[in-house]
Amino acid sequence: MTIESSSSSSTLEPLIYNVKLSSVGPGEMTRPDTIHEPTSIDLAMKLHYLKGVYYFKSHEAFASITIVQIKEAMFRWLCQFYVICGRFRRFSEDSGRPYLKCNDCGARLMEAECAKTIEEWLELLSDDDSLEKKLIFGQPIGPQIEYSPNVYLQCGGISLGLSWAHVLGDVHLASFFINTWGKIMAGHKPGSPPVLAQYTKEETPPGQKRTLNEPLSIKWVDPVGDQWVPSLTTKMESFSFHISATQLGRLQSKVSGSKKSDPVPPFESLCAIIWQCVAKFKTGTESNVVTIVKHDSCKKNKKFDNENQVISIVKTKCSVVESDIEELATLVMKGDIHEHEKLKNWVESEKGALDVIVYGVNLTFVSFEQAAFYELELKGQNPVHASYWVDGIGDGGAVFVLPTSKDDGKGRFVTITLPEKELIKVKHELKENVLQASE
Amino acid sequence: MSLSSNSVKLKYLKLGYQYFVNNILSFLLITIMASITLPVLRNDHTNIIDTISHPLDHLNLLQLLTFTFLIIFFSTLYLMSKPRSIYLVDFACYKPPVELQVPFSTFMEHSKINLKDNPKAVEFQMRIIERAGLGEETSLPPAIHLIPPNPTMEASRLEAELVIFSAMDSLFRNTGLKPREIDILIVNCSLFSPTPSLSAMIVNKYKLRSNIRSFNLSGMGCSAGLISIDLARDLLQTHPNSNAVVISTEIITPNYYQGKERAMLLPNCLFRMGGAAILLSNKRRDRGRAKYRLVHVVRTHLGGDDKAYRCVYEEQDPQGKTGISLSKDLMAIAAGALKSNITTLGPLVLPASEQLLFLFSLIGRKIFNLKWKPYIPDFKQAFEHFCIHAGGRAVIDELQKNLQLSAEHVEASRMTLHRFGNTSSSSLWYELSYIEAKGRMKKGDRVWQIAFGSGFKCNSAVWICNSTVKSTTNGAWNDCIQRYPVHIPEIVKL
Repeated sequence: MTIESSSSSSTLEPLIYNVKLSSVGPGEMTRPDTIHEPTSIDLAMKLHYLKGVYYFKSHEAFASITIVQIKEAMFRWLCQFYVICGRFRRFSEDSGRPYLKCNDCGARLMEAECAKTIEEWLELLSDDDSLEKKLIFGQPIGPQIEYSPNVYLQCGGISLGLSWAHVLGDVHLASFFINTWGKIMAGHKPGSPPVLAQYTKEETPPGQKRTLNEPLSIKWVDPVGDQWVPSLTTKMESFSFHISATQLGRLQSKVSGSKKSDPVPPFESLCAIIWQCVAKFKTGTESNVVTIVKHDSCKKNKKFDNENQVISIVKTKCSVVESDIEELATLVMKGDIHEHEKLKNWVESEKGALDVIVYGVNLTFVSFEQAAFYELELKGQNPVHASYWVDGIGDGGAVFVLPTSKDDGKGRFVTITLPEKELIKVKHELKENVLQASE
Repeated sequence: MSLSSNSVKLKYLKLGYQYFVNNILSFLLITIMASITLPVLRNDHTNIIDTISHPLDHLNLLQLLTFTFLIIFFSTLYLMSKPRSIYLVDFACYKPPVELQVPFSTFMEHSKINLKDNPKAVEFQMRIIERAGLGEETSLPPAIHLIPPNPTMEASRLEAELVIFSAMDSLFRNTGLKPREIDILIVNCSLFSPTPSLSAMIVNKYKLRSNIRSFNLSGMGCSAGLISIDLARDLLQTHPNSNAVVISTEIITPNYYQGKERAMLLPNCLFRMGGAAILLSNKRRDRGRAKYRLVHVVRTHLGGDDKAYRCVYEEQDPQGKTGISLSKDLMAIAAGALKSNITTLGPLVLPASEQLLFLFSLIGRKIFNLKWKPYIPDFKQAFEHFCIHAGGRAVIDELQKNLQLSAEHVEASRMTLHRFGNTSSSSLWYELSYIEAKGRMKKGDRVWQIAFGSGFKCNSAVWICNSTVKSTTNGAWNDCIQRYPVHIPEIVKL
């Protein structure tokens, strides 16, 4: 099996070699006929894939870790997450709504070695973002959903890559999943499985017709059948950069303008600035609408799933480029068109048989700020860097704002994914005007 | 109503007949004693002593000494020529770790990826898995878990070390045996035979003595476990005050068939990792603590018949890939081999009642040409426990039918097939371990181990339990025995 191809760098020797592919599953047999039914929001996310990479600085403690220990820990770990070790099937009635059969098939594990050290790799990355894709082995679900794993893990000594089907849950579940692995490696016992929201059919009371408003945050794509990959024609590229605490402070004050006593939060400031920047290079009124995806911090329960994502739409009537950055920031903060109910109703009206994308319909700003990436502990070490993004994005593009480990967590790490042509211009603009100016 | 009362009457008649014939010597002895004692008792007591001591007065010293010497001589001759008792002190089965387990879904998914150009072969494997009687906890070696499988020689050696050393360490713990105390070492592994041999690998690992008698049996199939026991017995007859360690295993890594011939894909679905280490001894001091005593080993080889010889055959397929081909006549040949084996075993183990019935039935059919059905001796009279090689569901079904065994008699075999798969020569030991773990093994219980294998061979071993076995906490079944027995459906829904 080959690793996903990406734009290759012209190195003579392979960067990733000695590749071994196998499966890891739950150590204890799951009761037969256990199933999990994804909710409507889960199904709306089915064409998206969360990808993440964790980097650890080399440490003598890691020298004693063997793949046997890692695999043995994984089997204990996956007892807690037996749901994700299942495979999708379709109900024969009900227009073939997908469900997860918890048959212990497992996640796919890939072990590989890298020709570069962590430091060399991170340096290479700053020039060529696409290299990061090499550290993740993940294939989309399909062409036969009964035989496609939902989660791929790639272990390369001291980097861990994850490819996670978004239909299972959001980034917080994925992050909790990986952090639990760290705990199991340290010798903790597996806890009880996370409670995932299950689909419950809601009956509309008779005489009441459910009002359907088409959500602005989804876009129909060509039917994908059982191959859960959206057919997108535009070539997307990514560009990532760190923002230090000082840079961020300056950006925030620029955005807050007159309201210096009540500064705009970091995420919203970044949204406003990048929105304006991208709008310069987008034509038409496409740039007047953006989607904001955040985590609902009010729901502090232990339920991790796509239900906790807050998806909202921000619309502006006037031109974004000419708008005042303060106004844009205020609009983003208000973010008052919530899409959750609309999405749910829309998916249910189609009985779960719809093929849509959510990320990238409009320019999508995604906040991963509250995700506990740096709480992962391996042999007492936290990762030196963690990178996450979503695959299968529409040509509206997406911006991911992640926490960093530097600056006491006050800085940010931003990844922007846009169509190739737009990205080059945006990258230049950001480097010249925005990041430069704030130093 | 009358039919059932008739059959009940017949049952009691048969029971009465069996009791009488099996204890005929006792009956005769009692009759003789009664016929002597009763008249004597009628006479006077004092006369008895006179009558007995009268001849002795005529003997002189020389005759007395000769008489005593002859008694001592013949009893010594008898004791010396009696074959040494061979004891099974203890045995240990390998328990694969959880990471090597293969649930059905994982097996089918990997199969689909590895054989993506052969959907028919995948379909065939799925149908086998549905009906095979295996469970979700059987294990394959690490090299076979990879996509695609990577069966190198190094991986094979790794598997051998994992299985054998693990079983031996358990055996040392259970028995308190020290490696340097081992006098005889016999290893049987049919399909993996490197140089230096697996027995040399063990000598190297545990630093065994330089005068050890080591043997490595390869190519002898699933019945090789009992062949090793037979060899150990012969050696222990020749060498007094010795012990022997027998290792029975099958190394799966090099034999995973990677082609598409159906007859050769079948072993992939059934064979799983497993191994056993057994300690046998003829030492006096082990008599007290040994679990079993070996009574008989009966070996039957049908290799003289071409069809039997070719029914389990290792060969290359048209694409050059090596695998083991199983012929469609396997069941018929196995039934024939069984008949041949029990013809020899029957007279050794069956009680006199069954043998007489068999004799009458034989005389009636052959000499008087009466249209009787051939009488199948009731082996349940001879044994309390049966360990039938878990070669596959069909083998166990066939034997259950032929020997008229109940579900409980074949439970150990079926459950071993479910939990561990077909572990080849070590499956008999997993089955024995199951019976022990269930607490069913009592002192005096007789066990029949029967194995089939390529050649075509059918080998039997008969053991008698030396002391009631307490179910231990460190066997291969310790963490799952409470779940068993399970109901195994005819066809599993995947």
